[in-house]
Amino acid sequence: MGKFVVIGERLSTTAPIINKAFTERDPEPVLKRAEQQLKAGATYLDVNIGPAESDGEDLMKWAVQLLQSHFDNVPLALDTANKKAIEAGISVYNRAKGKPIVNSADAAGRIEYLDLAAANDAICIALCNGEGIAKDNDERMMYCQTLLERGMEHGMEAEDIWFDPLFLVVKGMQDKQMQILECIKMFSDMGLNSTGGLSNNSNGMPKAIRPIMDSALVAMAMMQGLTSAIVNPNDLRLMETIKSCDVFKGNTLYADSYLEI
Amino acid sequence: MPFTAKSGKFSASINTLTMGTGEKAIVLGGENVFPFYTFDAPIANAPKVGIEITDGGLEAEPDCVKKYYEGCTTVADMAKKAATFEGVDFLSLHLEGGDPNGENKPTEDLIKIVKEVADAVDLPIVISGCKNVEKDAEIFAKASEVLDGRNAVMLAAKEENYKNVGASAGLAYKQVVGAESADDINLAKQLNVLLTQLGVDAKSIVMNVGTAAAGYGYEYVVSTMDRIKAAALQQGDATLQMPIITPVATETWGIKESVATEEDMPEWGDQEARGIDMEVETAAADLASGSNAVILKHPESVATIAKMIKALI
Repeated sequence: MGKFVVIGERLSTTAPIINKAFTERDPEPVLKRAEQQLKAGATYLDVNIGPAESDGEDLMKWAVQLLQSHFDNVPLALDTANKKAIEAGISVYNRAKGKPIVNSADAAGRIEYLDLAAANDAICIALCNGEGIAKDNDERMMYCQTLLERGMEHGMEAEDIWFDPLFLVVKGMQDKQMQILECIKMFSDMGLNSTGGLSNNSNGMPKAIRPIMDSALVAMAMMQGLTSAIVNPNDLRLMETIKSCDVFKGNTLYADSYLEI
Repeated sequence: MPFTAKSGKFSASINTLTMGTGEKAIVLGGENVFPFYTFDAPIANAPKVGIEITDGGLEAEPDCVKKYYEGCTTVADMAKKAATFEGVDFLSLHLEGGDPNGENKPTEDLIKIVKEVADAVDLPIVISGCKNVEKDAEIFAKASEVLDGRNAVMLAAKEENYKNVGASAGLAYKQVVGAESADDINLAKQLNVLLTQLGVDAKSIVMNVGTAAAGYGYEYVVSTMDRIKAAALQQGDATLQMPIITPVATETWGIKESVATEEDMPEWGDQEARGIDMEVETAAADLASGSNAVILKHPESVATIAKMIKALI
């Protein structure tokens, strides 16, 4: 088993400072946040440029080249509703440190993102969701099958499809939490990789609580077989938990300084 | 369904590390497959074989080794002679006489020998310590200084003296730093982390992860090396991708199979043959388990292991 893959989530248009930097093509704030995340232990960086309807292609190319040239071809997850922008990003992407991740397909309107990933030999995050939130794991697994078949029909390896159970917010959907964890176990039993926006669980909670909830959930999810998550790597408690779980799972060899590497 | 052979080639690889300088320089590591798995991917740098002499000179050698050094009066003479034996890639000078619990030779005396040996041969040089951590720190600092520019290996820094040895050998004189642990994978990793945190270049570290003579708890050696190579290659653990160098002679020439005379143990047969057998068996097993270099004493062992490596790679 490989190490848990941390995809850093902090390069996103949802952050005003990054949104502004993307719009103005200002490298400095983007590079600063990228460096913070990589130093903290992120493997991949998610580049969320939002819907980016007008200049998405140009923006994604700019971001990919900027980040890869500064950080030794850091592997990236390309995250936007603009498909052409993802293709443009991949066209300038260097694979030396890992395939690009297409973020993301679902089992409804965005299923074609799998085709795009297949055509470009990319990894694809596959959200096990159709229209609205799946009511139970039968429905999630049906979407999982649909997505898996779609990807494989287009020539993808199963390992390049990272299934996302869709983490749900505790405040409002507390009763669904164990379902999500069971769903991860089902992915794992099928030998599939998985990922997701794990910190979604603690949305709306006080700032001091979120790292605690996120850490507890990541530990439980890793026990179930989760292989990756899209998270904030600058959450120290979370990263310490992930590194510790990697030791327990045998994904990394323990050394006294394991938290520092 | 047709059978498709799956390659056991990994995307990660063992670091390449150069020992020595000039024409005689050798390269350890670089492989991205398990030991001798050349059917999965080519292994560019075959494992290397070193020969060990000590500061004690001819007197300190087992009787069966002495005849190979006939006519040598100094350690430097022996070094020159050793360099001519078949299969020798590098020379290891074991400064065992420095041990405060043994002969306790002053560091200056030992360093004088280091200098003479270095002047006598152009082979890559390994300086093996006396096992006392304080004395070794002193010896390695001085040896690093007199061997400046030779890209020598200081074998080795331990948990107790890694700061001193790392600073002198690694930082001040850019020699290769050995990192020694004894069949303890977690400590092997930790030492590499500590040395790199100190500023020593990860690509200038070689590990001695411990060995035992075959039959003396050797299973631990196999599992230690196996797990280190698995972490380095399968998990891509950069803190364990350093090549491994294993001193074999120091283990095998002290055990009863090598020491007992034929008069005492007539049923065991020829003493020299036993000594060589123990050394060759242990070295072969170390190499099969993941060592990138072994250090031997008997010229016949060296030639045999060199031949084995050549036949396999």
